[in-house]
Amino acid sequence: MTPFLEIAGLSRHFGSFVAVRDVNLEIRKGEFMTFLGPSGSGKSTTLYALAGLDTPTSGNIRIEGKSILDVPPHRRNIGMVFQRYTLFPHLTVAENVGFPLSVRRRPAAEIAAKVGRMLELVRLQDFAQRKPGQLSGGQQQRVALARALVYEPPVLLMDEPLAALDKKLREEIQCEIRRIHRETGVTILYVTHDQEEALRLSDRIAVFSKGVIDQIGTGAELYENPATRFVAEFIGDSDFLPCDVLAVRDGLASIGLSGGLAVDGVPLHGNPAAGKAELMLRPERISLSRAMPASGPALPAVIGDLTFLGSHLQVAAATLDGRALSVRLPFGHEVVGSLARGDEVWLSFRPADACAFCSAQGGS
Amino acid sequence: MLLHWDKLGWWRWVLLAVTILTAVFLLLPILFIAALSFGSSQWLIFPPPSWTLRWYDELFADPSWLDAAWTSFKIAVVVALLSVLIGTLAAFGLVRGRFRGREALKAFFLTPMILPVVVLAVALYAFYLRVGLDGTVTGFVLAHLVVALPFSILSIGTALEGFDKSIEDAAVLCGATPLEAVLRVTLPAIASGLFSAAIFSFLASWDEVVLAIFMASPSLQTLPVKIWGTLRQDLTPVVAAVSTLLIALTLVLMLLVSLARRFAKSS
Ligand SMILES: Nc1ncnc2c1ncn2[C@@H]1O[C@H](COP(=O)(O)OP(=O)(O)OP(=O)(O)O)[C@@H](O)[C@H]1O
Ligand SMILES: [Mg+2]
Repeated sequence: MTPFLEIAGLSRHFGSFVAVRDVNLEIRKGEFMTFLGPSGSGKSTTLYALAGLDTPTSGNIRIEGKSILDVPPHRRNIGMVFQRYTLFPHLTVAENVGFPLSVRRRPAAEIAAKVGRMLELVRLQDFAQRKPGQLSGGQQQRVALARALVYEPPVLLMDEPLAALDKKLREEIQCEIRRIHRETGVTILYVTHDQEEALRLSDRIAVFSKGVIDQIGTGAELYENPATRFVAEFIGDSDFLPCDVLAVRDGLASIGLSGGLAVDGVPLHGNPAAGKAELMLRPERISLSRAMPASGPALPAVIGDLTFLGSHLQVAAATLDGRALSVRLPFGHEVVGSLARGDEVWLSFRPADACAFCSAQGGS
Repeated sequence: MLLHWDKLGWWRWVLLAVTILTAVFLLLPILFIAALSFGSSQWLIFPPPSWTLRWYDELFADPSWLDAAWTSFKIAVVVALLSVLIGTLAAFGLVRGRFRGREALKAFFLTPMILPVVVLAVALYAFYLRVGLDGTVTGFVLAHLVVALPFSILSIGTALEGFDKSIEDAAVLCGATPLEAVLRVTLPAIASGLFSAAIFSFLASWDEVVLAIFMASPSLQTLPVKIWGTLRQDLTPVVAAVSTLLIALTLVLMLLVSLARRFAKSS
């Protein structure tokens, strides 16, 4: 079966600089797909290629099997909400939302009806006659959303539409976007560098790093099974300890940590040829005890700073060779009350909860 | 602010005095001319012995003045329209274009502002004689267009630089063709820039005297040429009346420009 939207081998070079390298992606109809990555990782460039505002150096983009690269942007019938405010300053809110229908030469009655329905969808019925300059940033982006949806495009692109808003407003509009996605069933490609936003909104997330997609998956998949160290760092919190790869079988490695501790059954990513790797540990997956646990891998460590964060206690610990490890303890944990700076404790973890990434050379 | 009015001490009185003197220095000749135009003295005696509208009557009774004004107006309007049209195209190229020599081209377009007008006038005159454009409305329009265009390119270019291209992109993604997006979104959004370009171009032509003296023929005279010619023959208060009207018109136009700017900012 052909996917609804397909990006195949997409690359974009600016001179000798490669902004996007061989991006491959298949998106289902009605899916909410997020491009997550740091600044400059090529998210916008990929989105602009979809919109037709930029021409990729190579690769193809297909919707329902047909390439759209030769279709000029105004005939692609794709909706887009930009990071910057892009409402037409001289038109009212209603005229802005009606603009796509007006350029499609629809009858006035139809335009009025659809504009009304759209403004209702973004809950701005009472602002129809205002000019963009008289709206708050959040309201402007909701109008932009209405304008991008009014002609019922099959695909909606959103390039960090909420980046300029404060946290509370952002969360409010995230809820609206979810609801609108549910109600309209539109396929959404959403760009953000905020992992929380990505996790909250998306069906699947594509993690961008330096112009390539490191991994595609649901938020849970990315969290549980990060394919690269970069993804592990970007989704959730993590600490890394250097280790040696002793043996590998079926994707599981035996590793040796400094201090002589050997751990079997750690999921391994990358090419172990170099023999060096980094062990990833999540703060919320580490157990802390005063006595050495009877079984399972455990590291001796010294307690540093303790920070109460409401529901849990954030512990900054250091291994004997001085590596920092954070541990997150639920508030009711037995040792929470008595723990103090300088205490010597044991940190243990299940090998399956950890993950080892081979050091560069050979690459991931 | 470093120089705050309240912190200046007695310096502020010096500042105030300098400001007033400068304003008076600039305004006095204008007030002087206006006063003379309403004065009864044939010989432009100041202060006027008594007040009269006689010179305005004479002015409006003389068809040669009205002819000259009408010629000036026609030329200035055509210059303003062409200047905005060409200026818009040039500004789009200079602001949006990414090509080698863009800065040089921009500087080149603005040279008429610094080139001595006499040089331009002599060159154009020699050229016009050869191609037969001297003493024609077309010749006038083309000559004035040269001095008006920099104003258009500057004011439209500035407006366009301040306009976020993403807004135009958004219009294109909404389904508008690139041309439609420019016509329906970009141009209305920079309307105040287009308006000041038109007014400044109009004034550049309307006030222009050096080129006009070279271009004019006995049958085709603009108002500044007519004033110039009249002054050289005899000194009559009618000239003061014309000047006063010209100043009034300029004031009204400048007022319109600043109103348009304020309107653009508030909407
Ligand atoms: N027109 C251009 N010319 C040269 N380099 C460009 C151009 N446009 C983008 N780039 C480069 O391509 C890279 C990717 O840019 P892109 O805008 O896609 O990043 P992004 O992931 O959207 O980042 P952000 O989160 O900051 O928006 C950046 O390093 C940028 O400098
Ligand atoms: Mg971007």
